[in-house]
Amino acid sequence: MKTQHFNPVIMLSLLLLGALYACTEPDENDQQGPFDRKAMLANYADNIVVAAYADMLEKMEALSSGAGALQTEISQENLTAAQVSWAEAYRSWQSANAFNFGPAGEMGLRKGLIEEIGTFPVSQDKIESILETGNYNLNDFNRDARGFLAVEYMLFAPSENGNGSIERFNDQIAIDFLAALVLNIQERVQAVHSAWTSGYRDTFVNNNGTDVGSSTSQFYNEFVRSFEALKNFKLGLPLGLRPGQVEAAPQLVEARYSGVSLETLELHLETIERIWYGMAAEGTDGLGFEDYLETVVGGTALIQSTKEQLAQVHVALDALPMTPAFSTQVSTEPEAGIALHTEIQKQTRFFKSDMSSLLGIAITFSSGDGD
Amino acid sequence: MEINEIACTKVLHRITKALNKPVHIAPIVTLRVAIGFLMAVSTIRFLALGWVADHYIEPVFHFTYFGFEWVEVVSPFALYAIHALMIVAAVALMLGWQYHIAALVLFLGFTYTELIDLVYYLNHYYFVSIVLCLLIFAPAHRYFSLDVLRKPSIKTEFIPRFWGLIFQMMLAIVYIYAGLAKINHTWLIEALPLKIWLPAADSIPVLGPLFAWAAAPYIFSWVGMIYDSTIVFFLLWQKSRPWAYAMVVVFHILTGILFQIGVFPLVMIAATLIFFSEHWHIALIKRLRNFFFSAKHLAAFRQKTETTAAVLKNFKPVSRGVVVLAALFFVFQLLFPWRNLLYPGNIFWTEEGYRFSWRVMLMEKAGTATFYVKDGVSGRVGIVVNSTFLNPHQEKQMAMQPDMILQFAHFLGEHYASQGVQNPSVRAEVYVTLNARPSQLLIDPQRDLTQISDGWKAKDWIMPAP
Repeated sequence: MKTQHFNPVIMLSLLLLGALYACTEPDENDQQGPFDRKAMLANYADNIVVAAYADMLEKMEALSSGAGALQTEISQENLTAAQVSWAEAYRSWQSANAFNFGPAGEMGLRKGLIEEIGTFPVSQDKIESILETGNYNLNDFNRDARGFLAVEYMLFAPSENGNGSIERFNDQIAIDFLAALVLNIQERVQAVHSAWTSGYRDTFVNNNGTDVGSSTSQFYNEFVRSFEALKNFKLGLPLGLRPGQVEAAPQLVEARYSGVSLETLELHLETIERIWYGMAAEGTDGLGFEDYLETVVGGTALIQSTKEQLAQVHVALDALPMTPAFSTQVSTEPEAGIALHTEIQKQTRFFKSDMSSLLGIAITFSSGDGD
Repeated sequence: MEINEIACTKVLHRITKALNKPVHIAPIVTLRVAIGFLMAVSTIRFLALGWVADHYIEPVFHFTYFGFEWVEVVSPFALYAIHALMIVAAVALMLGWQYHIAALVLFLGFTYTELIDLVYYLNHYYFVSIVLCLLIFAPAHRYFSLDVLRKPSIKTEFIPRFWGLIFQMMLAIVYIYAGLAKINHTWLIEALPLKIWLPAADSIPVLGPLFAWAAAPYIFSWVGMIYDSTIVFFLLWQKSRPWAYAMVVVFHILTGILFQIGVFPLVMIAATLIFFSEHWHIALIKRLRNFFFSAKHLAAFRQKTETTAAVLKNFKPVSRGVVVLAALFFVFQLLFPWRNLLYPGNIFWTEEGYRFSWRVMLMEKAGTATFYVKDGVSGRVGIVVNSTFLNPHQEKQMAMQPDMILQFAHFLGEHYASQGVQNPSVRAEVYVTLNARPSQLLIDPQRDLTQISDGWKAKDWIMPAP
């Protein structure tokens, strides 16, 4: 080739660049060096995700024994013990319900873990019909007749003749169904936990891009989905806040038979907050979205807005009375619940569009505009 | 008056004559083959990714293009049939078989699927539609094609230079306008949005550390602007052409690695070949021939299609009418992208006149939109869960573009009216972050959007840019 001189395009660009860069002072807050996404993912994997599943397994073990004891001897005492261990396990689930990807994600006919073991409200008709016939399949699409809230129904809901729920267990079908339900949850959580501890953890940590399908993107998407599910399904729907709803819907309250709704709501919200900070359940603060935001353009301002609004959410949460049960509150005194929903709604943009935009996380598969 | 007319006719005559200068057909034949091939690949890719279902079948609501509200989504079967037909047409275009029909079918099929939902608007889809439209009329099948094999009498080696020029013009507009759009404070001085995008790509193998380098966003912003604004001139200049084309390849591969932009980089890498000389294209086609056919076959072809008469035997000049039409088309292409100047406010914020203007990868923008539906009789207000009606991509795109917000609000009004909400009014609280600035209200949260209709007029319900 004869033309060996430099491409004028490149020459010109380099020249201009030199001139420009020489007089551009780097901003103070956005030049802290590249963020170690791998370390963040490792913190999420070890201290938040796997830790949550491990805790759940422990609590499920107790629930399983509780159901076993009830099987051996039907007594009010054993029922109460089983109820206590159910509530413990369900509280634990609030720390593990936001990671429905990878081993806990959809696969073939299996939906995400949250759909498989956390669907509410359950269908009273379906469960009663199972108790009548003894026919059930815990792998079909009847997700509203299995999982935690089906166990709750069995343990807490008054049985048909209006007597206490202990009556229900005079029937062998009910005893067996309860054991099967508990075992089903246990097996599903066990499967997810062992997938994480036998290889997926490293896959997760090493997939450290920001494209769709990267761990950061998947984890972030599920984080937002969990936050929105809390807002829309645990608060919005029962409070009757959807267009077209003309009154509150107490029957849609999460965990309405046991009445632990407000407690679990609080725990769920706490989990969301911990994820954002990168904080483990016992309080150790590791690398999380907050730390990631500190390293990007505009991050400092967003961290501040996020924290300010989180404080407002806490004010609203503290104002929410713990009695009466939420299923009563939504009809009789919904104001505090609605106020909490409003504050959570205001929080949404900081978690949803602002954060993904600043971090440059791809959230959908479709092509963007080319250059 | 009469003298003017005569002068006009004279000028037109002279221009037509200049545009009818015979040049070799090879460059537009390469373009035909390349576009046909890429369209086939991209349509197969689209099907393989399951996007026919994701984009067109599953969503319960589609956003429409202004003026094209009448375009409706057909049945799933018909959608798949259209895509199958597009693959056939793309292959036919590539091979030059029933060329004009193939180009027409491909243009109509592709443009129809684009018009189904505004949410998937991409500048390069618009560009592809334009190229396909121009190809319908171009004589790109009269050489190295099945049509020639079928009907040797249409074979020609020379065509008016007009045909190559229109594609070069179109590419020039795309590049230069994309470059001019980058000349703004945010892009050049703040190096945004690249300051957001590049660090996010720091884990890409090999190039990652480069993207993480603090100076990279500035370099990429400036190089990008200069590249887009000037590359056409360096492609036109024979001396710089090989370097410029190497730059095209590097640039588009780089953006292809960095961003989720599908087959677009390949389209540009292929289309810019139109700037190469006739000889280069003739040699390329010869190589293609030798690669795909044995010497025996070639001899048979040659015998069948040999044109022994004068080289200009089949030369078909373009008429003055065609030249006038093309001129009108390019006047439109040159002026339409500037329409944003007629609107007040920051175009990146309002997006009035943003589309169809070759503004590509210029900003990082995202929003969260909350819609409130109020029953006009009971006064009860409900909060919409957008994902009930929209897929994640629709939700994301809608939440930052005023015209889509308006369309969705209208849909919500009608939907909830049919669900028993009486005289619904719909308002929206939309918070948008532009280039990492704190999010702000995009539109007036008090306005009842059902009372507003879209149009060419400036949208007075958009809030001032932050």
